[in-house]
Amino acid sequence: MNKGFKPRVGRKYIGSYRPRMDGLEKASGETEYIDDIALKNKFPGMLYAKILTSPYPHARIKSFDLSRAEKIPGVKAILTYKDPEVASLRPFSDSWTDGANNASYDSMWQPLTKDRRALSDHVCWVGDDAGIVVAAKTEESAEQALRSLDIEWEQLPFFLDPREAMKPGSPVIHPEINPDSNILPWNPSCGPHIESDEATTFGGAEVEELPPHIVAERGDLEKAFGESDVVVETTSKYSNPTQGVLDNWCCVAKWENDNLTVWSNSYQPNQTRLFYSEMFQMPMNKIRLISPYVGGSHGRGDSGERPFFLYTALLAKKTGRPVKFKHTRRQTFCDTRTEQYAYCKAGAGKDGKINGIYIKIIGNSGAYSGHTMSCLHLIPLEYVEVSMAPIPNLKVETYGVYTNKLSSSCMRAIGNIELNFLIVLGMDKLAEKLGMDPIELTLKNFGDNKAVPNKSLEGVLREGAEKIGWGRWHKPGEGRLYNGTKKRGIGFSFHNGWHTSWQELRRGPMQVIIRINPDGTVQLDAPTVETGPGSNSCCIFACSDTLGVPVEDIRWISTMDTEISGKDQVQTDSAVSHILPEGIHAAALEAKRKLLDLAAPKLGFKAEDLDIEDGRIYVKKEKQKGMTIKELLWKGDLIPIVTSVSMKLPGDATGVPFMAAFAEVEVDTETGQPEVLKLVVVSDCGTVMYATGAEAQQIGGQCMGLGETLTEEIIYDEATGVPLNFNFIDYKMPTMADFPEIEPVPMEIWKGAGEYGACGIGEPVLCCTPRAVANAVYNALGVRIDSVPITPDKIINALNSNLRSE
Amino acid sequence: MTEDKGVSMEAAKKNQVKNGIREENGESTPYIVKIKVNGILHELKVGYDIQPSHTLAHVLRENLGFTGLKVACDEGACGACTVIMDGKAVLSCMTLAIEADGREILTIEGLDKNDPVVEAFAEQSEPGYGTAIQCGYCTPGFVMSARALLDKNPDPSMEEVKEALSGHLCRCGCYPAIAHAVVHASEKIAAKGGSKNE
Repeated sequence: MNKGFKPRVGRKYIGSYRPRMDGLEKASGETEYIDDIALKNKFPGMLYAKILTSPYPHARIKSFDLSRAEKIPGVKAILTYKDPEVASLRPFSDSWTDGANNASYDSMWQPLTKDRRALSDHVCWVGDDAGIVVAAKTEESAEQALRSLDIEWEQLPFFLDPREAMKPGSPVIHPEINPDSNILPWNPSCGPHIESDEATTFGGAEVEELPPHIVAERGDLEKAFGESDVVVETTSKYSNPTQGVLDNWCCVAKWENDNLTVWSNSYQPNQTRLFYSEMFQMPMNKIRLISPYVGGSHGRGDSGERPFFLYTALLAKKTGRPVKFKHTRRQTFCDTRTEQYAYCKAGAGKDGKINGIYIKIIGNSGAYSGHTMSCLHLIPLEYVEVSMAPIPNLKVETYGVYTNKLSSSCMRAIGNIELNFLIVLGMDKLAEKLGMDPIELTLKNFGDNKAVPNKSLEGVLREGAEKIGWGRWHKPGEGRLYNGTKKRGIGFSFHNGWHTSWQELRRGPMQVIIRINPDGTVQLDAPTVETGPGSNSCCIFACSDTLGVPVEDIRWISTMDTEISGKDQVQTDSAVSHILPEGIHAAALEAKRKLLDLAAPKLGFKAEDLDIEDGRIYVKKEKQKGMTIKELLWKGDLIPIVTSVSMKLPGDATGVPFMAAFAEVEVDTETGQPEVLKLVVVSDCGTVMYATGAEAQQIGGQCMGLGETLTEEIIYDEATGVPLNFNFIDYKMPTMADFPEIEPVPMEIWKGAGEYGACGIGEPVLCCTPRAVANAVYNALGVRIDSVPITPDKIINALNSNLRSE
Repeated sequence: MTEDKGVSMEAAKKNQVKNGIREENGESTPYIVKIKVNGILHELKVGYDIQPSHTLAHVLRENLGFTGLKVACDEGACGACTVIMDGKAVLSCMTLAIEADGREILTIEGLDKNDPVVEAFAEQSEPGYGTAIQCGYCTPGFVMSARALLDKNPDPSMEEVKEALSGHLCRCGCYPAIAHAVVHASEKIAAKGGSKNE
């Protein structure tokens, strides 16, 4: 029996093992998601919108004829890119904020790559939204109308490989963005964050003006390599998995007079309202966004400025009826991780001290810019400032390149998982060449400032090493055989956490409203859309711990409604479960002070002599003396006590904690089949906010982490550019049968600023998995597979070429 | 309840039935599909209330309001739409509504609030496994498959649990906790005097 983790500070709820607050509601099927609300019996007269999709990887609509489609029974409206209400809309980016803050059109996160239109004659991948959308009484009628469109296409040259697309003289996919090349313009706003009035920088350090495509540069790299005893070079390729969220993108738009209401599974409803306001040039108070629970985030909604929001609303206006748009399963395959071709060169002295690292990455942006430059600029910059702080000489160079694959967007652990796959490979190679234990090499060179070893990094690596049995690590390929043909190996990887007060400096203020009703119950408006991580439980726990009201008496407002809720904390950056409770703690302290001030004269004691537990105010020294909150407030006008806070995190530069994964694999040398036998996931959480929830993240993150390590990949037909596996049968995500033994190890070593000083772990938990498994495969076989997914064919080929070279 | 098992292929071939409307003696009579859902009989006129192409998932959600089941893939790959038909877990997105004619359907709305499976999923929280639920979108499907498994086999081994539930996708990755929740549900059934095999 696993005894579980013991918190550093004992609290009743925060840090505990207990059921989720929404467990029963979800287990009994009562929770409503957007598709359960967007039903005809709830929206009488509702129409269904369907969009034409591109059959070609790159093409333009030369002409179209709607006359046959318009005659299909049930068709109520057809909207095209030529209609003035569409054509007059400005171009935009589907990733105009990173989700952490709201951004106006002018302060858009990626201002140089406004490559999206609400509807366009220009299509950039097979399946792209093409410029004609139909609203009809039934989905079948709308689909029939789409099939009845007569369209003349002009096919254009296309690229799937960014290394081809970036060659000088290649036909250009987005001339409106860069007339000369498919290389994305270098985007200054992806460095220092857009947040707030003052220009903030990372960790207080000034970000120098650097030439385009150079993310970071320090010291003298050539000299560093020259002085190194060993230098290694390595290349890796990262693939293009997708979020695979079950709750397909969906919205219903409805106009009443000139007021627009949209129900959707956007998990950033305030930003989506701003998107509408800016695109339609409408006042914000005439637009209302409502988001219920969302069936999974995994990063999808950070690229949330989707054209369908616009054309669905325009169709609703045109028809005077509510209009629903929902992606089919095929259509949900609409964006991916940034596929990367990466190179790393690293040099070190005999003592294992790294002198310099050079990194170059070519990223496949796909059809649109999406979050490509977040992935290729912001993330490496963070990594350089944190994990690589002790490394004196380095240079990081990155290129985002348009092609005609799916757009590269936000996905859980964006940029970090790819970077980890590259850099920790370099470390493994260096360690081997130096004859050092890679754990010792890591501890000599990585940390959140120049001092090594870093306490947090050392803590997670030592713990993980013990759990996996690191003593069993052997020289690559030299282990014994199991069952005649199988070989085993172990490997690890490590990464910094990245969402801590250090970074949340850049995040906008959070808003929290606590209303204590006269009967002693509490309404907690901690505005966020619960997408699964259990932030709602963390919010309620923090409120209960600080206010002294039992969790059963606290109602967390689960539907985000821009008409009534405060500004939401978006479920991005793995940040809500630890940030929002800091605001709740502050608001609850304030609410508690108000209660105690009211109770003090009634009890004949000073407020500071009183406390609250289980909804009862009591005298600390004479616990039997006291009164319930209801007894205090149930009088007169029955006015509730309302406290609201709008605050930022303390933002002290407290550094960051570290995370690690250790894997044991078994590989069948006859079939090439890799099998992960065990995975240990170690996370220094700073403070574990909710132990069961944290372990659920550590284990659950591996559905994505192991999936993209072993099986998940979107496959294209090279000749036609057609994606071949847009379904959940051929796009293989792990099921229960595929899950190995996973040991979650939550830890508290580092502590950030604030009451809890926690670090988000939702993304870091999967970030180390691909590299840990790849290093374990190398340990087993003595040959490296340096691209994910690590498939049997790659393993067999690598074993064969190894045999040939021997 | 009618013995007629819906629109037969023979009748369809003879063109007597078009879009679910039976033509007899030159007169059209809509065929009525009768489905018992959670103990209550629903009659649906084919060609009017429902179309022959409609899936059971569509009709349960859109016509009858049973929105606990989810349609996530609509092609039998994720299990989120699972309901119990005549005691067996079926994918309601891969079952036509007319195939359910004369059948008894149990949806998650038909389970008691204190159903041991529902409770076990909600309560799952011991160290080492995480929660059985995160976003919750796949949960009703898992609950119904687990319920069908335990109805037939009240004391399944871990291997049997994995076998029964591996047709479901949980992108949040709660698999180990779900498997343990099923074991706990089995214990609850036994504790309530159920037929747990020893």
